[in-house]
Amino acid sequence: MIRHIVRKEFTDLLRDGRFRWTAAIVGALLLVSLGSGWVETRRADAAHSAARETAREHWESQGEKNPHSAAHYGIYAFKPRLPLSFLDQGVDPYTGTSVWLEAHRQNDFLMRPAQDATSGQRLGALTAAQVLQHLVPLLVILLAFGAFASEREQGTLRQLLATGISRRDLAVGKALGVAGALALLLIPAAILGAIAITIGSPGPAATPFARGAVLTVTYLAYFGVFLAIALAVSAWARSARTALVALLGVWVLNGLVAPRVAVDLSKWLHPTPSAVEFARTMEREMEGGVEGIERPDREATASRLVAEHGVETVDDLPLNVVGVYLQESEEYANQIFDRNYSALWNRFESQGLVHEALSFAAPLLAVRTLSMGLAGTDVEQHRHFATAAEEYRRDLMRRMNGDLAENSRTGETYLADADTWAETPPFLYDAPTVGWVLRNRTLSLAMLGLWLVAAFLAAAASVRRAEVA
Amino acid sequence: MQSATGPASERAREAARFPSAAPDAAPVLEARALVKRYGDLEAVSNLDLAVRPGEIYCLLGPNGAGKTTTIHTFLGFLEPDGGSVRVAGFDVTRNVLQARRRLAYVPEQVMLYRNLTGLENLEYFAALGGWETLTTTRLTEILVDAGLPRGAVGRRVSTYSKGMRQKVGIAIAVAKEAEALLLDEPTSGLDPKASREFSELIEKLRRRGVGILMATHDLFRAKESGTRIGIMRSGTLVNEMTTEEIGHADLERIYLDHMHEVEAAK
Repeated sequence: MIRHIVRKEFTDLLRDGRFRWTAAIVGALLLVSLGSGWVETRRADAAHSAARETAREHWESQGEKNPHSAAHYGIYAFKPRLPLSFLDQGVDPYTGTSVWLEAHRQNDFLMRPAQDATSGQRLGALTAAQVLQHLVPLLVILLAFGAFASEREQGTLRQLLATGISRRDLAVGKALGVAGALALLLIPAAILGAIAITIGSPGPAATPFARGAVLTVTYLAYFGVFLAIALAVSAWARSARTALVALLGVWVLNGLVAPRVAVDLSKWLHPTPSAVEFARTMEREMEGGVEGIERPDREATASRLVAEHGVETVDDLPLNVVGVYLQESEEYANQIFDRNYSALWNRFESQGLVHEALSFAAPLLAVRTLSMGLAGTDVEQHRHFATAAEEYRRDLMRRMNGDLAENSRTGETYLADADTWAETPPFLYDAPTVGWVLRNRTLSLAMLGLWLVAAFLAAAASVRRAEVA
Repeated sequence: MQSATGPASERAREAARFPSAAPDAAPVLEARALVKRYGDLEAVSNLDLAVRPGEIYCLLGPNGAGKTTTIHTFLGFLEPDGGSVRVAGFDVTRNVLQARRRLAYVPEQVMLYRNLTGLENLEYFAALGGWETLTTTRLTEILVDAGLPRGAVGRRVSTYSKGMRQKVGIAIAVAKEAEALLLDEPTSGLDPKASREFSELIEKLRRRGVGILMATHDLFRAKESGTRIGIMRSGTLVNEMTTEEIGHADLERIYLDHMHEVEAAK
């Protein structure tokens, strides 16, 4: 019985010129966004690869140099793009994807496309995620708003129900018919996406298919929510026009109003300092000191080392006091960095939680969070990378200062050779697993699940009570 | 009851006219003490009505008399506030799907899917009615038998006239092999030829033993086609007679007399 309804709905939609045109436009936008995202990701990957090799080459060809000078010379670390990042750029254009690692400083990230983009470019940027999050739900609405309302208006609902078909079968058939029409659009896009992941992912093989599978289920659930809402409203509304207007209202609230409210509310509840304020605070603490954090003193370090080694003067020490002092200075600075950056990251995390919590009012907020997370472009994975890069920087500084301390005496001019640079391990980064992402996003997962259940219950109740005429 | 040629020949004529009428058979459509209210308005009051296999029961009455409400109650679109309605023995309130599977419904305007052809519409409704095994050839025959031109069978319904859509409506009833047929002013707006063709179609169904309840304003068609006629007024069945009982009497006069009683009462 249901298959006949599915086939009829499918045929009816395919013969409807409005559907063909709308689907063609959405499909074209989806393909263009997939293509441009893939090309952009490939371009950025190539640029990162070349820059990574050049940076390493420069590091290794420094020649003879004091290790601390080498530490100041620094090296770049590049955030590898996960294969799915071409679908959803997330916060990457705003946070940047590379960082310069040098002595005494935890630098800001560089390569922020949003910073360099003109206002026109910012408005015109269209990602596959935006198409999936905004335009596909609009298409679902356009496909399903008349499912019951138009049938009622045209009088066919009475004739349908008079055949003896149950309302439940009718609703399931209609939902599957719309889903089938939608699949015509989404399956080719999904196949192209899978091919793009397979052939175009020079980044680490961080379980792209596991992430892709979860991302697919997430978006299917999201479309399911809209389909169920559309059926519920269509069964409830007195006319197709009323159903369409109500559903467009839902679409605007979900896609335009809720994200704006979430941004403003999260900033109001958990304000973050501007970049200038943040830098000034750290500079002030670095120079003025912070209660509870002991500031290193070169004389004190020297005295302590002399005492520890049981020698008369620093000249008798088997190490270079400057190397030890520089490392202590690094560790002092690290405590200031940790204190400020932890507070900043925690605020970002709290803002993210506000977004996730508000997804009870708009499923887009949950889907957006999950989409960025699975694409590897959310704040948490930026933090994960930034933490790894900072650990590498600290290890690098320890090596350089250790080399200076261990291989020279105080007051001696020491130059490390090329082997020192070559022995320094390159920065390697392992992106988090899909399990890590999902553990961080349980609230969004729960919200999306709740939306799905609530929308289907609403659809079932609305269809059960739908007026026949 | 009057007879021009004697009771025997009258019975013979009736037997020829209603070969499958079965007066003792169980009703396929039955309302007992049916009450339906819309707020304070009692649209149907204590209605007792039974339609047996091979009968065409024409329900006459002005707008608002309760004819469509009665039909919608048989369809299970409206729930009775009192009494009961049964289709082929199934209580509509308790077994609405079973009841609907045994009846067909042709409203004043048969609404079909404009993007589908007449044949596709019939295939769809027949499949939903549970008759999935009918072949395309058989369904085409049903449409042609219902009076749809063969050339129109494969055309989209958006090109059909009202008369053609009504014929598809009848074809749906035929394909469904319904035991009961509910017609809600099916000839309204049809030209005399199309109206005549429609009457012939329902006569064919009656001969097959289908019990038919037709709400109509068309007194001429009711007298021509009906085997029994009921007159409803303000939700009440005020008169019920067989075609034999009407005989040569003027149905229009009987009908108007009942309506004048209403006016007088007001």
